Amino acid sequence: MSHPPLIEAEGLSVSLSNRPVLRNVSLAIRAGLRTAIVGPNGGGKTTFVRVILGFLGADSGTIRFFDPSGTEIARPRIGYLPQRSTLAPDAPVSALDVVFLSLFPGAGWPIRVRSLPEVREALNRAGLDPSLSAVPVGRLSGGQRQRVLLARTLAGSPQILILDEPDTALDAGGLRTLRRLIAEEVERGKAVVYVTHDSSAMGGADVIYRIDGSASLEESC
Amino acid sequence: MIEFFSYPFFQRALLAGILVAILCGALSFFVLLRRLALVASGIAHAAFGGVTVAVLFGLPPLAGGVAAALAVAGATSRSSRLGKAVSEDAAVGVFTVAAMAAGVVALGFIRSNVDLFGLMFGNILTVGAADVFLLGGVAALVLGALVFYFRPLLFASIDEDGAQACGVDIHRMRLLALSLLGLTVVVALKVAGILLVSALLVLPGAAARPLFAHWPGLLTGSVVLSVVMVVGGLLFSVLLNIPPGAAIILLGTLLFVLAVGFDRLRPRSA
Repeated sequence: MSHPPLIEAEGLSVSLSNRPVLRNVSLAIRAGLRTAIVGPNGGGKTTFVRVILGFLGADSGTIRFFDPSGTEIARPRIGYLPQRSTLAPDAPVSALDVVFLSLFPGAGWPIRVRSLPEVREALNRAGLDPSLSAVPVGRLSGGQRQRVLLARTLAGSPQILILDEPDTALDAGGLRTLRRLIAEEVERGKAVVYVTHDSSAMGGADVIYRIDGSASLEESC
Repeated sequence: MIEFFSYPFFQRALLAGILVAILCGALSFFVLLRRLALVASGIAHAAFGGVTVAVLFGLPPLAGGVAAALAVAGATSRSSRLGKAVSEDAAVGVFTVAAMAAGVVALGFIRSNVDLFGLMFGNILTVGAADVFLLGGVAALVLGALVFYFRPLLFASIDEDGAQACGVDIHRMRLLALSLLGLTVVVALKVAGILLVSALLVLPGAAARPLFAHWPGLLTGSVVLSVVMVVGGLLFSVLLNIPPGAAIILLGTLLFVLAVGFDRLRPRSA
């Protein structure tokens, strides 16, 4: 099985409040592989992820995205599970709304959520009890809310999944579900990236990059 | 009482009040979600500065109000992109008092009569047909934009990172929300005044929140409660011979207190 690069970062440097956080980071995220990004707190792991997602601009360097055939493309839809959810705890939306909005985030009709099969499938795969899918997220437990966000990450079948310390808010059952989903997604040829302190907790990794200001390849399959 | 409905001035007041109520009720939903109560009030006060400066220079007051409201909305939106250096509430605080101060200075030089009391508290019973048409046009524009951009606006209002990861331009959505607020504030000033517009952008959403946990109910409830506040307040004002603006705000406050009380008393479900 070939593993073409879906993301190539080259010479990325980023400063936050005039403090250099990333210096000359170069790495590749490849299809069909689990890539772990490890490093100490404050080493720039989450900053790197935010630059990849387009939340932050880089001072210098380039990020290029490719489809599985190797054609360069604009930044594609990326499934993103944040370390700390920015979903307002009292948001008046249900799990169905959250996943629906992630699939149809643009302007236009309809404004009402339709119970689409892909929305249900994403919630089922994330292991959310179907009876909870229409309940406002404010009434869900922390673990259930994390499953909603996981469903949102999977929805629409993006080629690249980025999970930022995904094990922090999940219980043992949720972690098992997550490991199974990662294995399934990699099997389907997706690139799965997780930022973690412990790649073994996620069931191991094919490629491990250590980011501590700059990036170094620690282990590769 | 009933004969008031046959008077053209009361019919215009009722129609204008309902239009303002629908507009402010719908926007109140987003003010609540985005925690923009202070910003909404700030934009309303900034419009005051714009109106008086425009009058001083012989320009159309409405244009001055729109310019000031949109300038404060844009500057507030821009400042929020600067991160922790300038927080949104600090930015709106600075721009609001600056616009108010400019308005007060301009007021000192104005030789003609400016209805300052009307600007502050509104004069819904003196609304003309042209005001109603203008209000109707702006209401159609703002409500159309809210419907068309509803999904990205809602997404960016409840989860900025999630929305951005899915391709929503959250900065554009913030600017859109603030611009719609600015436009609404200015056209509603003549009808409702600064204080009543500020109240109508906050009270309906705040009163609906304890009653509805899901957004369709919350949005509908906010609009309905806003209409109840305005129509009920107008009727109380003619019944009790009290200023309509004050009657509307007091009724809104009463509805808010009742909604909070109802929420506390009702049994909790899982």
